[in-house]
Amino acid sequence: MKQLSLVCALLLGSIALCTPANAKVFFRVAMPFLPPADKTGIQDLVLQWPSQDSFAIAQLRSQGYRVWLQCEAKELTAAVTAAERTKAAGVIIASAPSSGQPTLSEEIRSYMATHKNTAFRVLISGGKQPQMKGRLVVERNGVLQVSSPSTQPWLDTNLAIVRLAQATYPDSVPTIYDFRWEPAEAPAGAWKPDAEDFALAIAESDADRADVIIDFPAPLQKALNEGDQQAWSLWKKVMLYLKFSSQAQKAKTQPVAGLGVIVNEVLASYEPVNLMARHNLAFEVIRPSALTLARLSTWNSVIVFCSLTAEAAAMLRDFAAKGSVVIFVNPHDEFPWHSAAPDRREAHSAAYTIGSGQIVELDEPVIDPENFARDIRRLIGRERSAIALWNSLTTLVTAYRKEDLRDATLYLVNYADQPDNVQVQVRGHFRQVRWESPEVPCCASLPFAERDGFTEFTIPSLRIAARVHLDAEKSSAAH
Amino acid sequence: MRWAKYGLLGANLAMLLVAAIERSAQSATFVHQKRYVMGTVFEIVIYDEDLPKADAAARAALDEVVRLDGVMSNYKPESELSRLNRTAHLHPIRVSRELYDVIEQSIYYSRISGGQFDISVGPVVDLWKAALAGGSLPTTAEQAAALRCVGYKEIELLPPDRIEFHSECMRLDLGAIGKGYAVDRVAEVLKAHGIRRAYIDAGGSTIYAVGAPPGANAWNVQLRDPSGKLVPQIMLMNNSVSTSEQSAPSVLQGEAPGHIVLPQTGKPLQTRYAVSVAAPTATASDALSTTLLLLGPTKGAALAKTLHNVAAIWIDSDGQRTIAGDGVGFQLAGERLPVALPSASGTTMETARKDSNQ
Repeated sequence: MKQLSLVCALLLGSIALCTPANAKVFFRVAMPFLPPADKTGIQDLVLQWPSQDSFAIAQLRSQGYRVWLQCEAKELTAAVTAAERTKAAGVIIASAPSSGQPTLSEEIRSYMATHKNTAFRVLISGGKQPQMKGRLVVERNGVLQVSSPSTQPWLDTNLAIVRLAQATYPDSVPTIYDFRWEPAEAPAGAWKPDAEDFALAIAESDADRADVIIDFPAPLQKALNEGDQQAWSLWKKVMLYLKFSSQAQKAKTQPVAGLGVIVNEVLASYEPVNLMARHNLAFEVIRPSALTLARLSTWNSVIVFCSLTAEAAAMLRDFAAKGSVVIFVNPHDEFPWHSAAPDRREAHSAAYTIGSGQIVELDEPVIDPENFARDIRRLIGRERSAIALWNSLTTLVTAYRKEDLRDATLYLVNYADQPDNVQVQVRGHFRQVRWESPEVPCCASLPFAERDGFTEFTIPSLRIAARVHLDAEKSSAAH
Repeated sequence: MRWAKYGLLGANLAMLLVAAIERSAQSATFVHQKRYVMGTVFEIVIYDEDLPKADAAARAALDEVVRLDGVMSNYKPESELSRLNRTAHLHPIRVSRELYDVIEQSIYYSRISGGQFDISVGPVVDLWKAALAGGSLPTTAEQAAALRCVGYKEIELLPPDRIEFHSECMRLDLGAIGKGYAVDRVAEVLKAHGIRRAYIDAGGSTIYAVGAPPGANAWNVQLRDPSGKLVPQIMLMNNSVSTSEQSAPSVLQGEAPGHIVLPQTGKPLQTRYAVSVAAPTATASDALSTTLLLLGPTKGAALAKTLHNVAAIWIDSDGQRTIAGDGVGFQLAGERLPVALPSASGTTMETARKDSNQ
């Protein structure tokens, strides 16, 4: 899988304990001409290095932009030197080092230590244009085919690669993702990508709390520079979303998630994790070395895609015994619970009752990720779900809270670009529910109800993006 | 509109149509629009020399689906169907022509299928859909209680436009026919706009072809095949095909829910088949695909043979298949089925099974 080529190389490193403070939107430009930053609402621009000269960087900096240089890993030394010389804001490294060289993380940390005035980002490959897809797509042989065997709308989302990268890169090495606009022709006089395409990309980055690079189409850049009214009309809509994104919470946060996912090798877990994201299963991803009792205490279910030490397996057995669910995918290890016969055996799985919980082992890799994600949702059940959306198949939700605080913020992204009434259910009791969107200034109160330990409310007419602030009762748990 | 796509054959997305299309068609233009509605993605491809006209037609057709969703949705509390479900057991309710029409057609399919097709199965389906969405499996008592609400004979049509329920807990669910009805309406809207070549797809499970693509005699649609062995296809021109299949079985758990429920037992249908049904209208193909899946190939084939211009194919996960009916033919890999198949190759597409909303 091409899209995973670099992600697969992201293996070692310590664990990101928190998600980034907030997402930043970078625009990659081909030409050094753009109206001033205070007119475009853009702060960070990316130039491909070494194709850009010093003049381009100076030109854009004089317009009020922070300029970043994007380079290949093998060009890192030269790019850093150029960045320092030209007062560029930072360097974005676009590919992994070849085998036999130090890991990219170590190399970047070394640069970070010695070049304190230069910022660094590692570019994760595998990003895709966020969108709702239909069934009719182009096949290589030119045949019109369907994209999925399900009637459920297919959403292209970057949440899985973001979460996997956040788990596999150390917290000290910030990551960023990008994507290419998929070709689509617009009717005469219309822009493609259009304002909604930009807005969705910005909203997704905000919701995933991950930095993104968005390609700035040269014709649009040129039209803005020339004062084209139609171009500026489009861009003003985009600026609304840039502004909304920039107003997101700045503090470091933790995802609100009841489901832990343990991976060691990205390739084996990408598709299932992608479908879990698609099904709004609120999860965190960690590597096995990051498994601790403290981490387990925030979850009620765990999926394991890799081998574990005997100590970690014992930890998970004790975790299950307290009423949790642990799912092992294609395990090759012998576990202590194998000394007894499973309580239930299916064609490709076995379930063991452990205390008041259970351990389920799938004895093959995930063959049908869509079905697997549905199975996981059924297995963990409503009572263990942190968040659920109802009757909204085109909206994805992520949730975060500040460390040591029970207040939570939900980020909702509707990939269909058609207003939808989204019914939301969040575990916990809250004093107040407020929401905001690019169209609804912060913050409007939402009526809510409490039922079976969940807080329920409906977001009226969610277009593309919204944030919902859940203010906790002082004495109750939000998670 | 971020979902609109335009183009010329031979460039970018325009590659979407088959190489088999004749050279004379290379200059044909098309519009491709999609919209999320009725819990799925409706897509329309239109070939026409007049792109603005095609664009307006597609837009109007999709607007019509949105309007119909406001009539037939059982998710939206303000829909006409929801209002009917809330009050028709109290007294007769006057409804729109569309709602009356689709319920009347539903009752027709209930009658010819001996009650296998039943839009009053809503309360039972809701139980299993909740389980599909992560809720616990319904208890026997819950199933029995819901089953007591099922029975199409308790729906009384009072021509020309009123409906009454003779059961206090009756709740209609048009999930097995509503998309097909909407697809037929889309075709009508397109034709009213002067469109002669269009492909209408409701989530892949219900398809209607208006005319044929340029340079071809029909639209070649690839059908769902759980075995992956048969590569079934059908040629469509001014007719429809729908596919039904039960939700995929669970790999991690034993008893699994499903979105297609037997009205007699209130339990999810256990079947290894996917069934595709070709019919003159999308309403018919949609309703019959569910019906014939529930009936199975033996009883279903007997029913299909009594219907004019209806053909069905059941395929199981081992590649065993049963074909019945007339009017159109199915083409399988390595086989030649001469039954009314147009000779020229056309645009190839694929249908998928109907699925639940979760």
